[in-house]
Amino acid sequence: MIDKWLVNWNVVEKGVKTAVLLLLGMFLYTRVTSGVVSYYINERFFTLTLVAGVGFGVLGVSYFRQWLGRQESDAAHDHHHEHHDHDHDLSWVGVLIVMLPLLLGWLVPPRPLGATAVSNREINFGTDPIKSVAAPGGNEVMGIIAGERNILDWLGEFQRSGDPVALAGQRADVIGFVYRDARFGADEFMVARFTVSCCVADAAPVGLIVRWPDGAALPTDQWVEVQGRFEVGVFNGRSMPILVAETITKTEQPPQPYLHL
Amino acid sequence: MTKQAAENHAHPSPTAFLRRLLGGLLLLGLLISIVARGEGNLTAQFQTFVTIFMGIFVEAVPFLLAGSVVSGLIAVFVNQESLARFVPRQPILAALVGSLLGFTFPVCECGVVPVTRRLYQKGLPLPVGIAFLLAAPVVNPVVLLSTYAAFGWGPVLIGRFVFTILIAFGVGLLFTLAQPDEVLRPGAVVPLADQHGHDHAPLPVRERLWQALTVGGDDFFDMARYLIVGSMLAATMQTVVPQNTLLALGSGPLLSVLLLMVLAFVLSVCSTVDAFLALSFVSSFTPGSIIGFLVFGPMVDIKSSLMFLGVFKRRIVLYLILLPLALSLVAAVLVNVYF
Repeated sequence: MIDKWLVNWNVVEKGVKTAVLLLLGMFLYTRVTSGVVSYYINERFFTLTLVAGVGFGVLGVSYFRQWLGRQESDAAHDHHHEHHDHDHDLSWVGVLIVMLPLLLGWLVPPRPLGATAVSNREINFGTDPIKSVAAPGGNEVMGIIAGERNILDWLGEFQRSGDPVALAGQRADVIGFVYRDARFGADEFMVARFTVSCCVADAAPVGLIVRWPDGAALPTDQWVEVQGRFEVGVFNGRSMPILVAETITKTEQPPQPYLHL
Repeated sequence: MTKQAAENHAHPSPTAFLRRLLGGLLLLGLLISIVARGEGNLTAQFQTFVTIFMGIFVEAVPFLLAGSVVSGLIAVFVNQESLARFVPRQPILAALVGSLLGFTFPVCECGVVPVTRRLYQKGLPLPVGIAFLLAAPVVNPVVLLSTYAAFGWGPVLIGRFVFTILIAFGVGLLFTLAQPDEVLRPGAVVPLADQHGHDHAPLPVRERLWQALTVGGDDFFDMARYLIVGSMLAATMQTVVPQNTLLALGSGPLLSVLLLMVLAFVLSVCSTVDAFLALSFVSSFTPGSIIGFLVFGPMVDIKSSLMFLGVFKRRIVLYLILLPLALSLVAAVLVNVYF
């Protein structure tokens, strides 16, 4: 019986497609349920991913039905094999390509973007616009208590006033990962996050400059909680608000690593 | 025996196919695991690449799936005669209809390709399809809303829509001169006559829905490989090419436009959100370049141009990249010079 299936191209094709579709559905579905999807896309698209996961499942079932039907009809009319010649030349390379996301997703331990990705991007220190004027919620920051403001809120605050003095003396408590490059002094680093509006393809790094005597001891990519006070300082030849740290605590990477605009 | 020989002529032997597939999977899996578990810079870069690739793929694949299912539904439920009745043949009208079709057929740049291919199969005139393909990713309600949210009612929003429609209309009109067999990839668009040739009796609607899903699934397999290879190229670019030095080059009315258009092509960001990304360039780039980014990016980027290869001949894909490139460049530079 198995032999008979294996020599019939249609049965093999339908079987492989069924398997790949069901696996894709399972893959997308588990990305959402395991929370890994938050490393990839903005949370407002999670439902879409879930729906797509179910959709692939349904598509897989439609193939499975054909696959079952095929074996019955094979016996019935073997004379004309009417696989509609669509140029669906399903090659093994083609299937391999469609399975690549599964291999990469399941075999590579998933990790959000980190310092490596910061290094070839333009960092926004609050000098470029980060929130649109027209976007809803543009003024919400004012209502957030200082202790609960995240990096993006602080940058928005700095940008709105355009003056580092405006933040001076305020207390901040923020979470981010450690980033540094040649511009940073030995006692400086950046507590950084990525903003993602759709998927990580549009990720843009934002960060606050932190001063901390033992700054050099913190490894790059380490997630930290920084508590301190803003002072006006000079970074890279520019007058900027600098967060002078009072305590720095190593933390776990938050389940939602990115900030959303 | 003769039947088997005939099948082997058309396809590789199924056992060889399965052997190669499994071998390939094992080899690739091994390779990926080795690189992923290493230490040092290469592994860090690979990690970044994988995350960005997964991001683009997970974001885009629901839209490709939706496009494929719509395509399957068209294949099964839309008949050729009614399509011919509703779509104008007159070239100017045809190209205009094509560039505005997105408002009734909201698909983004991933979903638009299988839908266009299917509509061609149903005998859609060339100019309508080309104009639809180029315009639909922008000219639809979702993108209108997201552009409005980012830029408000103003020159960027108006410029984006007006130029997109004009360029799609113009390129579509140009294709009035071409014949389908000069443009479409052989085999990509086979008339459906033979597929329904042996329809003995009309199937019940439920059966036809299942059939539509399978046809959609076939479309998905045809298109997904282009999406995946395109996303991998885009992710490689994003990992390797330093955006900051690229952006540092950008000033002047022409160079800034070119730069942001190249960036739009390389980044392959979905058209529904590229407006928010463009927002971050406003302070350092010319207004024309922002419009160039928002007009050219949705029409053509790495992943969509690879998907075009599944529908059109190579030479035509080149035209479909170069014509919008040239036209959006001109439009954007004009904006810089006159506004």
